[in-house]
Amino acid sequence: MASSKVSVSQKKSGFKRLEPYLFLAPIILFAVAFVYYPFFKTFLYSFSKVNVSGEITGFAGFENFAYLFGHRNFKKALFNTLKLTVMFVPLNLCFSMGCALLANKKRKLSSVYETMFTLPMAVPMSAVAMIFKILLSPTVGYVNYFLGINLGWFEDRKYAMFGILIVCLWMGMAFDFLLFLSALRGLPESVVEAAQLDGAGFFTRLFKVQIPLVMPTILYVVCTNLVLAMMTSGPVMIITEGGPSRSTTTLIYMMFTSGYQSSDYSLAACISIVTFALTFGMTALAFWFDSKRDDYS
Amino acid sequence: MRNKKERAISIIVTIIAVALGCLIILPVVYCIFGAFKARVEFGNYPPTFLPESFANLDNFKEALEKTPLLRFMMNSFIVSLMGTVARMAFAVLAAYAFAFFDFRGKTVLFFVILATMMLPGDTLTITNYLTVSRLNLLDTYLGMCITSFVGASQMFMLRQNFKTIPRELRDAAFMDGCGHLRFLWSVVLPIGKPVLMTLSVQSFINLWNAYLWPLLVTNREEMRTVQVGITMLTSVTGTNYHLILAAVTLTLIPSFILFVILRRNIVKGMTAGAIVG
Repeated sequence: MASSKVSVSQKKSGFKRLEPYLFLAPIILFAVAFVYYPFFKTFLYSFSKVNVSGEITGFAGFENFAYLFGHRNFKKALFNTLKLTVMFVPLNLCFSMGCALLANKKRKLSSVYETMFTLPMAVPMSAVAMIFKILLSPTVGYVNYFLGINLGWFEDRKYAMFGILIVCLWMGMAFDFLLFLSALRGLPESVVEAAQLDGAGFFTRLFKVQIPLVMPTILYVVCTNLVLAMMTSGPVMIITEGGPSRSTTTLIYMMFTSGYQSSDYSLAACISIVTFALTFGMTALAFWFDSKRDDYS
Repeated sequence: MRNKKERAISIIVTIIAVALGCLIILPVVYCIFGAFKARVEFGNYPPTFLPESFANLDNFKEALEKTPLLRFMMNSFIVSLMGTVARMAFAVLAAYAFAFFDFRGKTVLFFVILATMMLPGDTLTITNYLTVSRLNLLDTYLGMCITSFVGASQMFMLRQNFKTIPRELRDAAFMDGCGHLRFLWSVVLPIGKPVLMTLSVQSFINLWNAYLWPLLVTNREEMRTVQVGITMLTSVTGTNYHLILAAVTLTLIPSFILFVILRRNIVKGMTAGAIVG
């Protein structure tokens, strides 16, 4: 009798020790199956020979990467993606920050234009892409007519990437606008007012007080936008399909076409690893710059 | 004098802001106006911005008849709901464990979950596609949302929220013989309800807006989500812009409803996300 009691309480304590792990089991299971496993598999694929059904048939060393780096389309895709990122990140930062500064002070019509600025957030990417495809079309679109120009926003290979950039900016600015707005409004009023009383003009106030104080938000916006721009594929897929003459092919779009359409999984894996490494490096660089700034100030 | 100048600035800033706002919402307005245009109006030159009549609802009727738009919406709804429920349930359980238990490997496991945010999902799609196709989940609702069950940022925010629940409350409950699951269900969840609701709506929107993954794992037309479906309308309707814009306008209705629901809490949720990132 006594012994059975002991074993029951032992069992209970065994379950008690196990209980937290049971709570964590589902999320860990899916994290391993759909984040960590595919990541290591991608890594493995990039160094292996892989057949069309996704089975590894041998070790390839750096052959896949050598093939990829020699690939004309890859150079084009890499260039396009970096071009988009280099334009998107600073433009989106200035634009969303500019809108936030404009809307910072509460005025009579604040809620009207705040809603206008945030509206793009409500529109899904594919709907945005479909709308811009028609809006910027040289034949039925309204923009070209209104501006009195004849520009193939998505048809001319010189401008197609700018068309994609416009779509990306339109989709990206609302979220960052809200972040900046709440950061600016969260600043202690006394600091900003003190600067104003000292006779500091708009730009002095902006660069000496407001920007340094919202630096954490700026860093966050830059990092998320770096990732976002490097991963651009949706608008390209829907509007231009990488064309004309591959001028809008991005890395992820090329990964998609070589992996999904041509079943070249090792090539797709290489592109994925390169994109990931570049994105990771850029984000790390942004953090490094930020830490440098802290050292000096 | 100074007051007058300030008022003038205020008026100018308001005018600029409203003008800029109009420019920003122009594509959406264009889409809605286009949905009311008759087919011939797209052939006119110069192209018009306003439709000839707002009483013309034929486009919506035709779009609903010619395309399986309602079916697409139902698919999207099921997939988003399934994904949100699973993601939030797993996140709540994990957040509870990190907030209320002490166990070995707590810190490591916490970072194992948080680190999933550093691996961008788009780079993993091809290998995930192979996994899902091996599990025979192509063209199924489960396959369309199974890769979004891990919500690390949701877990993090819920943990922050659960940690504010006073320990005394928990100790008192356990003294009364209340188990962890019951404590979670009847005390923690009601307290965390506002955060839980905001995160759920956000998750739902994310899943509702997803494009690349649902495109990859669906081949049959009747399984497509709204976001995939509306980009393929050109094959059904030809280049009938009036039908495309009418269909897009219809799909925007649920998005706008969700936007309105979320708008009040959106800034709070996002700034919390900023801290995690």
